[in-house]
Amino acid sequence: MTPGRGLVRLPLRNRELGLIALALLITTVGFAAVQLARAQEFASSPLIATAFFAGAYLVAHLVVRITLPVADPYVLPITAVLTAIGLIEIYRIDATLARDQGVWIVIGLALFVGVIIAFRDIRRLETLRYTCGALAVALLLTTITLGTQVNGARLWIRIGELQIQPGEFAKILLVIFLAGYLRERREVLTAPTRNVLGVGVPALRHSLPLLIIAGASLVLLVAMNDLGSSLLFYVIALAMLYIATGRLLFVGLGAGLFALGAAAAVQITPRVQTRIDGWLHPWANEQAQCCYQITQSIYTIADGGVLGAGFGRGLILNGNGETIIPYAQTDFIYSVIANELGLVGATAVILLYLLLAWRGFRIATSADDGFSKLLAAGLATAVAFQVFVIVGGVIRLLPLTGLTLPFVSYGGSSVTANFAIAGILLCISQRANRERG
Amino acid sequence: MVDQALLLLRIGVLVLLYLFVWRIARTAIRDVRGSAESMILSPGHGFDRQPAPVAALAEPAMPGRLVVVASDILPIGAAVVLDQPEVLLGRDPHAAAVLDGDGFVSGRHAMVRLRGGAPTVTDLGSTNGTYVNGNRIAAETHLQEGDEIAVGSTRMIYEPGATP
Repeated sequence: MTPGRGLVRLPLRNRELGLIALALLITTVGFAAVQLARAQEFASSPLIATAFFAGAYLVAHLVVRITLPVADPYVLPITAVLTAIGLIEIYRIDATLARDQGVWIVIGLALFVGVIIAFRDIRRLETLRYTCGALAVALLLTTITLGTQVNGARLWIRIGELQIQPGEFAKILLVIFLAGYLRERREVLTAPTRNVLGVGVPALRHSLPLLIIAGASLVLLVAMNDLGSSLLFYVIALAMLYIATGRLLFVGLGAGLFALGAAAAVQITPRVQTRIDGWLHPWANEQAQCCYQITQSIYTIADGGVLGAGFGRGLILNGNGETIIPYAQTDFIYSVIANELGLVGATAVILLYLLLAWRGFRIATSADDGFSKLLAAGLATAVAFQVFVIVGGVIRLLPLTGLTLPFVSYGGSSVTANFAIAGILLCISQRANRERG
Repeated sequence: MVDQALLLLRIGVLVLLYLFVWRIARTAIRDVRGSAESMILSPGHGFDRQPAPVAALAEPAMPGRLVVVASDILPIGAAVVLDQPEVLLGRDPHAAAVLDGDGFVSGRHAMVRLRGGAPTVTDLGSTNGTYVNGNRIAAETHLQEGDEIAVGSTRMIYEPGATP
């Protein structure tokens, strides 16, 4: 195939390239703003940073162009804008952290490329479903037993200099396992065996998976000392169960079970209790451990106003160059964005996630085999719900929990895992679009 | 000077962000087709593949058919019409009965041939085999009325046509 013919014949890829170009323009303008605000003069360093970023994305685009010519053209550009916004804000907080994050983005894109080359036929993953399930459990168990506590939650494993957050990868493996398992078993789960008040209720042994999932999530809650991760795992499982069976009953039962379990678990995990206090009564004790982060986050968001202070202009650092909100580059990066880009910019970020989730569900609806549908929908749920929990946390809609903002937050595990998700979504979409011609 | 430039950049970033969101929202909305599609895998939610490759009703002078009696992927009661000298069963999108979504079906799984009006079935070297009345077939096998062919999760009964 000559390049010229390729260009003409791949309208979806050309659309993707155009959107990536726009994303790179946003990156350049953003870096220039931070640089100008900091040094009061234009310099070439933002251009160099953008050039590296652009190079990585263009390579990824070329690989997609060759291997997945009719895959969804929106997913990759959306990740480009999100990673760019994250990188700019991290650069604005600390240039050294930004360099690390840049390396992680390149590694993430390499993993993205690896996934689309290895799993171009996504059904190969289906044969690995039990391996994935076992790996997910192993990762979580390792975290619980060998993990180090950071800020109270046991979510990290330390290997030399590196801190890994295995939960991010366990999440993907769990979705793969559930997609394979539920496709296999959905008929048994759907078939009602008893009638209770006119509602078909599956026999107890068919509800067992649900009970196991609920139990495992609660064990995670107590063992990891973190409400966010356990809630995320549970919601993913419940959403996939609903998609596999179409039975709202499972969702209702599941929500009730979790509410009961969580209410009990909160009593025995003091850290979660603290977080709930901080959520309900943050102003009672502003400087105390419960409430300092969340009140600083709210001040930072409010300070941004409607249009924001502008990249590089927000009041993010104190006199010593430390961030005013602890963990501003990870958990609270959304507050920093809201400060510098204002309500308007922060809304745009939410819209980007909305588009990403929509593409994920769209890919799920267009896929024509059960495994791909479940996989795409599960991954889209994972990303969307994670955004909901962490953004809800920093704006005090929900109790604060330590999850990362996908593609935006500083952190290698989070960035690479999310690029793997993007890769899997593109592979599913390629297959679905090809079959429809 | 610097302040004006920063103001410009600040507005620029926001405008570009919304331009990006708008471009995706606009083109993607234009793409939305087939509102009947659903990602829920339950019967009645639109998951079950329309019997497009599998003709629902045959013509009056009808050829023989394979009627689906059990399947994870095809609707029960759908029929594969044996109106060609060779009818391919498999995941291959060009197969007469596209058994996609079944992990136990090979791309080109089995072939039903009409040998002077009498159909036979041949396994095309599939991984999980083709079964007639519960026995895995090794060679080309003749089909009698009521014989059951099993390919992956799909089981089909052979119904001879009416000879005109």
